[in-house]
Amino acid sequence: MAVAIALPENLDLKAAAPLKAAFLERRGAAITVEADQVRRLGGLCLQVLLAARKAWDQDGQAFSIKGPSEAFVETTRLFGAEGALLSAEFQGAES
Amino acid sequence: MDELEAIKVTFFQECEELLADLEGGLLAMQEGAGDLETVNAVFRAVHSIKGGAGAFGLEPLVRFAHVFETLLDAVRSGSVPNTVELAAVLLRASDILADHVSAARGLGDVDMGASAAMAAELETWTDPNAAPAAHAPVVEEAAPVAAAPAPVVADDDAMDDDDLGFVFVPQTITVEAQAADAEPGNVWTVSIRPKSDLYRKANETALLLRELSRLGPIKATLDDSALPALGDLDPEAAFVTWSVRLETEEDESAIREVFEFVDGDCDLEITRGEGGVQDTMAALLTVAEAPAVIEAVETAPAPIIEISAPAPVAEVVEPVAPAPAPVVEAAKPAAAPAAATPKATPVEVPGPGQSVIRVDPERIDRLIDLVGELVINQAMLAQRVGEYGIAPSSNLAMGLDELEQLTREIQDSVMAIRAQPVKSVFQRMPRLVREVANMTSKQARLVMEGENTEVDKTVIERLSDPITHMLRNAIDHGLESPEERKAAGKNPEGVVRLAALHRSGRIVIEVSDDGKGINRERVFGIAVKKGLISPDLQLTDEEIDNLIFLPGFSTAEKISDVSGRGVGMDVVKRSVQALGGRISIASRPGQGSTFTLSLPLTLAVLDGMVVDVAGETLVVPLAAIVESLRPKPEEVRPLGPVGSVLAVRDSFVPLIDVGQALGYRDHSPAPTDGVVLLVEGEDGSRAALVADAIHGQRQVVIKSLEQNYQQVEGVAAATILGDGRVALILDVDATIAMRRRDGGTPRPTEPTLIAAE
Repeated sequence: MAVAIALPENLDLKAAAPLKAAFLERRGAAITVEADQVRRLGGLCLQVLLAARKAWDQDGQAFSIKGPSEAFVETTRLFGAEGALLSAEFQGAES
Repeated sequence: MDELEAIKVTFFQECEELLADLEGGLLAMQEGAGDLETVNAVFRAVHSIKGGAGAFGLEPLVRFAHVFETLLDAVRSGSVPNTVELAAVLLRASDILADHVSAARGLGDVDMGASAAMAAELETWTDPNAAPAAHAPVVEEAAPVAAAPAPVVADDDAMDDDDLGFVFVPQTITVEAQAADAEPGNVWTVSIRPKSDLYRKANETALLLRELSRLGPIKATLDDSALPALGDLDPEAAFVTWSVRLETEEDESAIREVFEFVDGDCDLEITRGEGGVQDTMAALLTVAEAPAVIEAVETAPAPIIEISAPAPVAEVVEPVAPAPAPVVEAAKPAAAPAAATPKATPVEVPGPGQSVIRVDPERIDRLIDLVGELVINQAMLAQRVGEYGIAPSSNLAMGLDELEQLTREIQDSVMAIRAQPVKSVFQRMPRLVREVANMTSKQARLVMEGENTEVDKTVIERLSDPITHMLRNAIDHGLESPEERKAAGKNPEGVVRLAALHRSGRIVIEVSDDGKGINRERVFGIAVKKGLISPDLQLTDEEIDNLIFLPGFSTAEKISDVSGRGVGMDVVKRSVQALGGRISIASRPGQGSTFTLSLPLTLAVLDGMVVDVAGETLVVPLAAIVESLRPKPEEVRPLGPVGSVLAVRDSFVPLIDVGQALGYRDHSPAPTDGVVLLVEGEDGSRAALVADAIHGQRQVVIKSLEQNYQQVEGVAAATILGDGRVALILDVDATIAMRRRDGGTPRPTEPTLIAAE
């Protein structure tokens, strides 16, 4: 049974702790991260996403990011985190 | 923006202290007392200034501080010997650093030529063989090469305050490889390690990366090897680091500029070429492959943040002083087993000011005002109780006594809060002496005593100008040239002494030199030539000495840069008088002169004599009163058409009716009906003030008349008495001066009769 998590618009310092809590709550099942609303992605939330990704990999559960917004894709690339977070179709060209 | 301004203000306050520490340390080094601890302290001071300046984008300051810091780092590591000559250079560099700080503050300019020359000199000292500039940072990074243990990587992030330079070891190796290749290109590798503070201050790595991408195409490689497992992740701490390959036509400083705002909150390494990435990744991968080690280390440090962060002092200091950083950076390979290092650091760092709370002075002023009200209120209460005729032994009266004592104690404690050692003013003087001595080609040594003497802050702030003037004057006019001194059989190096001491409830500042003393003939001649006095005036030595305080008097034959613009000593005198102080001079030909400044310890309370004059209550400052007496008729003598004098022991002093001087009455009653207060003005002149009655001594709270009303001649300030009435505080000197100017008060008729009886 897959669960979903919708990322807020603004993933800044204030969003990091709630985001972590949200991931912890949903652990143990395949997860879909809806990133279509994201307009800002900060370093701290990136860390949470990366840690979550690792955790899900460890659990052997699927972790997918669905419909990432342009800003999310762009910032993730800027961070050099596209390999970990984005599916192949978004990994393309460099920023 | 207000908040930023406020932080900036704090930064400059810190700078003042840091510059003082810096100078203190360098002076110790110059005297050969510079152990490693001193060098470290000096380094920290410069580093902290640089760090804070970086946050505000004070580019020239950062640049100069960086060169300075690099040399100090080399001294610290022992690669540049710590010699007395070096200390002299460093002292001059510290002067220029101080100029940069002032310039950044908007006060004054920096002589950029001198600054550049000094920067070049510092670079030469750092590495005599190297071409300047580009090499400087390399020195900084080169030391830790040997220190490479992997776990450090994990540990460092949690210890967000310690920028452990050796984490970048892989890059450092690259630098050297790069140097060997000597292949200049426009590819840069920028290694970014944000610290938790960066995010806490609402900065963002994404923005930095985006800024970087404006310089040219970038490719960021992310390293999350230090990232804890999701469950253990502190969502507000920084763990991930980046290595960015950047292609740009811009130079290193442009890249550095991107990080200007986060300096101190982000470890940064910029190297030319791209080799770094692979090496770094390789090194980091090794780390990642040993997860056990990472886990162990990283779970441990996490709580350390918790412990170190809440310390309130650290919070305050934080924005401007990423101070602890360099200490670790300097750690020799021996210190490499990282886990131990961070723990040692806080122990080593407690620099000056760590146990200090910064408080807005206005709050203290408010507190002092309130305590003043409390004192007045308490006095009123006591008076009421007295009026009801309650026995002194009653519980109420005794309780009131205790209240009075408590009030007095509170008052003393509050005043002590505002008291500060005069050190803050004295500290600026060694530089002044160096500069003035240089400009006048004289050799001068400054000896300071009593730097820890405490005075009210309001007084301290206004001490600087008079002391500066007096010191300049002492060197420029007081000391002879080295040749003259040798000819006179003196040490060619003149000694200027600056001392502060407490004397009977006042602070005394003495500035003395061992120079030639005042040339009285010349002083007299000049005063006559300038029309300040008439040539046939007979003056005592002391009076001649005091001529130099006359407005428009200047003895310098040529007007020098240093002093002698004709605004010297009279300005000093006026500013000292404005503080309720007095200045005097003692001079012995061939042996030097001593200026003595005497000031009240505080401008907030005053011990005074409460007197009645023509139905008004006045307060006469106790410090001015020599004695009080009831004159006998035979002691009052008429003098001239209007004045009269009082015979006190062997001398006569002019009688001044306070009521008439202040315009309370037109006709003075006989002095014998009243009380005479024998007072001494700041110039030592005496006068006998006539009042109607004395009420007693009291400590009164000074309320400024200028601030609340306007200046009134003859009145220094006002106060509120126990019965709630406002009383004026008499300005003794002004009263004496008024009498001199007006040629004395009309003599009352009766005293003559009485005297004739």
